[in-house]
Amino acid sequence: MTTLMIILITLVVLLGVTFLSYYNKFVRLKQTIENSESQINVQMKKRADLIPNLVATVKGYATHERTVFSEVTKARTAFMSAKSFESKVKANAGVQTALKGVFAVAENYPELKASANFLQLQQETSAIEDKIAYARQFYNDSIMTYNNTVKVIPGKWFASLYHFKEIKYFDIPEEEKVVPSIKF
Amino acid sequence: MKRISFYQQIKKNKRSSVILILSTLIILFGLITIIALAVSEEYFFTVIIFGTIFSIVYILISLFESSQIILKSVNAIEATPEEYKEYHNLVEGMCLASGMPKPKLYVMKDNQINAFATGNKPEESIVCVTTGALKKLNKQELEGVIAHEMSHIANYDIRFMSLVAVIVGLISIISQIFLRSSWRSSSKNSDNGNAQIIFFLLAIVLAILSPLLVTIVQLSISRKREYMADASAVKFVRSPTGLIHALEKIKSDTSEDKISVPDAVAPLFLTKPTKTHELFQTHPPIEKRIEILKRM
Repeated sequence: MTTLMIILITLVVLLGVTFLSYYNKFVRLKQTIENSESQINVQMKKRADLIPNLVATVKGYATHERTVFSEVTKARTAFMSAKSFESKVKANAGVQTALKGVFAVAENYPELKASANFLQLQQETSAIEDKIAYARQFYNDSIMTYNNTVKVIPGKWFASLYHFKEIKYFDIPEEEKVVPSIKF
Repeated sequence: MKRISFYQQIKKNKRSSVILILSTLIILFGLITIIALAVSEEYFFTVIIFGTIFSIVYILISLFESSQIILKSVNAIEATPEEYKEYHNLVEGMCLASGMPKPKLYVMKDNQINAFATGNKPEESIVCVTTGALKKLNKQELEGVIAHEMSHIANYDIRFMSLVAVIVGLISIISQIFLRSSWRSSSKNSDNGNAQIIFFLLAIVLAILSPLLVTIVQLSISRKREYMADASAVKFVRSPTGLIHALEKIKSDTSEDKISVPDAVAPLFLTKPTKTHELFQTHPPIEKRIEILKRM
């Protein structure tokens, strides 16, 4: 009688632990995805924040390139007003294209290219590009890990029990290098 | 040559690390049982109590103090974001790629290309590179090296290796105590029959051999973790090129100025050039690491 009780209690405890740990696992994996999303946001914002400074620096040398400046400022405003992650990523593509225009223009002004301020901005932009690429990679990885757990047995059973659904990959376009060849 | 994916490589290394740590535990328990059979029970329990107290103290010290001890012993100074912008940027990139918090960054003055990581948890970790590495490696190569070091943190290698060190320490303590006390107890045990004598001899042989055996296992684990960190580095960067080039540069680097690395922290470093046989090294040969990286 007592042995049977012990076995039963152990089984119930083990089962309870399994149920709890799967719930926690899903929550944790989901948090990782959210966290990686916000990391991408942070980096995109950092890049957009470089724009006013960049425009001011380039303006000092290239006074006549008005269209480029207005475009990049517009792209920044569009990014700043975007609310959801998806619209932010879309607006970010606009920021990239506009920045590319600014750096292309800069190529025609040797003095600008040699200025310390500009070089520093160029370096920073390039570093942010790398970081966005890595954040995007981690974002995709964490969605993959989450989806694998949701789809594979026994995770599948627990997922349907707790209503955790497969997350659709949100395709973030790969980082384009907007900064022309930098030498450190 | 067969191509290997970094996922496979990481899995394989994890498995062999588990097998290796299990074998040290088996050696430990084998040693204890044989000694228990050979000597009277009262000795057995004193040995266990002393061994446990010692290893708890050992693990506490090594877990909480190791980072500071290492940083002091190599004269590392903190790397400011203003002075070491690129270093900081590369580490931040790797943090994003791995989802880890940013470690504290240090540099040590040395012409050699080398680096190490320490810390028990990703939240309290430290990465340190030599000034030689910052000077001689380009951005991609330095990134590979940083990725390797951050992998040690991500894989909990520092904590894992401390645990192994504690087991190894425990085994040698037990062996020592047994060998010392056996001089006194051997005379009164002489009338206990043949089995007792055989166990006694067996225990002596084991007490002498097992510390050596587990040290070899420990070093083998250390080398496995090195391969694993290489594979994880590739996972973070998604390209082995940087690390391969960095290792090649280290191989051809002839800087004389060597940091004196204490044995206890040697496994943490990127490479350690020593001339002993492979069996007694903390790191696998650079050529082998490059070869495996090239297949990824």
